[in-house]
Amino acid sequence: MTRMHERTYAFHEAVDALVIGTGAGGAPVMARLAAAGLSVVALEAGPQWNPAQDFATDERSQSKLFWNDERISAGADPLHFGNNNSGTGVGGSTLHYTGYVPRPQPDDFHLHTEFGVGMDWPLGYADLAPYYDELERFLGVSGPSPYPWGPPRPAYPLAPLPLNGPAQLMQRGCAAHGIRTSPAPNAALSAPYFQAGVGWRAACTNRGFCQAGCSTGAKASMDVTFVPLAVRAGAEVRPGSFVTGFERDSCGRITGVVYHRDGVEQRQRCCAVFLCAGAIETPRLLLINDLANASGMVGHNFMAHTGMQVWGRFEEDVRPYKGIPGSLISEDTHRPSDVDFAGGYLLQSIGVLPVTYASQFARGRGVWGEALREHMRSYNHMAGINILGECLPYTSNRIELSDAPDARGLPKPRVHFTAGENERRMTTHAEALMRAIWDRAGARDVWSYQRYAHTIGTCRMGPQAPDSVVDQDGRVWDVPNLIISDNSTFPSSLSVNPALTIMALALRTADRFLERIRRSET
Amino acid sequence: MQSNYYPPGTMRDLLQSALVTEKTRAELLPRLEPDGEVIPRVFDIHAFRTLRAACARIIPQVDRADPVELALRLDERLAAGLGDGWRYGTMPPDTEAHRRGLVGLDESGQALFGADFATLDGARQDEILRAVQRGEAPGVTWAALPGGRYFEELLAELVECYYSHPLSLEEIGYVGMADAWGWQQIGLDQLEPWEPRAVDDAHA
Repeated sequence: MTRMHERTYAFHEAVDALVIGTGAGGAPVMARLAAAGLSVVALEAGPQWNPAQDFATDERSQSKLFWNDERISAGADPLHFGNNNSGTGVGGSTLHYTGYVPRPQPDDFHLHTEFGVGMDWPLGYADLAPYYDELERFLGVSGPSPYPWGPPRPAYPLAPLPLNGPAQLMQRGCAAHGIRTSPAPNAALSAPYFQAGVGWRAACTNRGFCQAGCSTGAKASMDVTFVPLAVRAGAEVRPGSFVTGFERDSCGRITGVVYHRDGVEQRQRCCAVFLCAGAIETPRLLLINDLANASGMVGHNFMAHTGMQVWGRFEEDVRPYKGIPGSLISEDTHRPSDVDFAGGYLLQSIGVLPVTYASQFARGRGVWGEALREHMRSYNHMAGINILGECLPYTSNRIELSDAPDARGLPKPRVHFTAGENERRMTTHAEALMRAIWDRAGARDVWSYQRYAHTIGTCRMGPQAPDSVVDQDGRVWDVPNLIISDNSTFPSSLSVNPALTIMALALRTADRFLERIRRSET
Repeated sequence: MQSNYYPPGTMRDLLQSALVTEKTRAELLPRLEPDGEVIPRVFDIHAFRTLRAACARIIPQVDRADPVELALRLDERLAAGLGDGWRYGTMPPDTEAHRRGLVGLDESGQALFGADFATLDGARQDEILRAVQRGEAPGVTWAALPGGRYFEELLAELVECYYSHPLSLEEIGYVGMADAWGWQQIGLDQLEPWEPRAVDDAHA
């Protein structure tokens, strides 16, 4: 892709769509709308990276990919942000997601119907299935065919990535314990792959650095997939652009977006806004501007997946830094029987980079001094399993504006998170199971790390206005031309990693927008 | 004292070889350079002395010829105004937390042993640090600043600093920075033909 062919738009030109954020929620929207001939400008708070030149295989320097503006973590289970869940730069958090892309199962969308808790989605698996099909082809997902769980689906376009040491160990432990496993579907290429509008992407070299930035383009982050597709179709991306406000007309329609770039305030006129800044920054921007909150629900029902990790030390040389971190999956625990909680979880093998492992071990176990260095000398023999499980929405788990200003003078967000009884019971169940698997696999010195993953909810979608912020097409109930496309609209967390569904929902949101335009034109 | 995982010089040789990309080399090689004169910018001399004493107990480096200057790394980070994206709501902003926490270590030293933290022997310093970690340290500071959270934050930062140093990674057998070719031998007990071999068979 050559940047000289990029189209640009003038500030006073009212573009058809202004997209805020270029992650999994924004990039597919940009590509879809630009391909339909709409004028599209995307504002991205972070920089445009050139991974081959800018990304070192070094955790410290790669912390530049994380959203490092401070968030204040409150509640009984205060969450870790930054490297745990939040990215910046063209591509957003997909710059550091592991590319683990299992589909939700149909029952994930009807949690309330099934269990009487949580929320049903106003749409279902069937609405998103065509988009999952499309995404798996477009991204070049490497995965097993047939896939052992959930409804039938087209074969993944590429064979699974090879199993690394932690995956082999989890496979061994699960087999002994009677749990089915499979190589996981990962959005990283097991062979070179070509897509029109994107070009060739190289196969994964098993460098193991997905969570700190892929330098080869093998991982399907947005900057190497939907963003170039969008730019080729005429979209303009403005990196380093931090949105602070909106201009509105007397009917409440947004007519322009105010943002800061290189210390200068700019205004871009637009006909519609797609807000795709993620489940913290999206509600934060709305609350700062007192926008879209007639329901009083903006910021509420924040969710984070149960994500406990269990680590063990093995006789074998594991080398947990090699290969895609999550190369094995089991969904046998999607709806476990004889349990005292709603929903379920998946199991995932995990490799780990040394600084991350050391930091988690120090926080989780509180070990220091010579004992810490001694433990770390066994790093090459460590392997982990983690879960990714349902988190119920609670109105008290929320983001609000604090009275502490950030560097721009805007209030820092305070995020309240307290796990409920359901999350605690699920975690207890999962910890016992993971310890049993590791026991069967021959682990010693097993320890568990309590954590929560992803940021979800805060602008929930629903069937009617009083109980939700957006409708099933992402339209904000009380602002005519504002649409949200990111993980903030999820009414429930789903018991799988969110990225694939964020993208699927983004494509559907864009298609529905285009349908409305076509209808109004005829 | 423990031996290194790899023979001495392994990391220096590796970083200067064609097995490491230019970008990765440019990040890691400078970390092998000594710091020169240590001048803190955020902490005063007394607080910095307290911090260095705490660092020496939390991550002892008596076996290392060129210890990682952990206290200086923390001072630099605070001076640059950088953060990791979040803080506990029960904690003040990082710089304030550290300034107060280091005063708290002295208060505990005075209360328990009648002397400032840095002047105490290692065993007594450890006793204070353990009390802070448990949230039981004496001192007016610790009535307002949660000791357990302060210790957790300090520990995590020092650990991340320590294991960001190439020679700390040599110590644990990590060669993931050899990124020029990627990995083919990724299963259990598999090494690339060119991958360094451990000094000690017990590691292999």
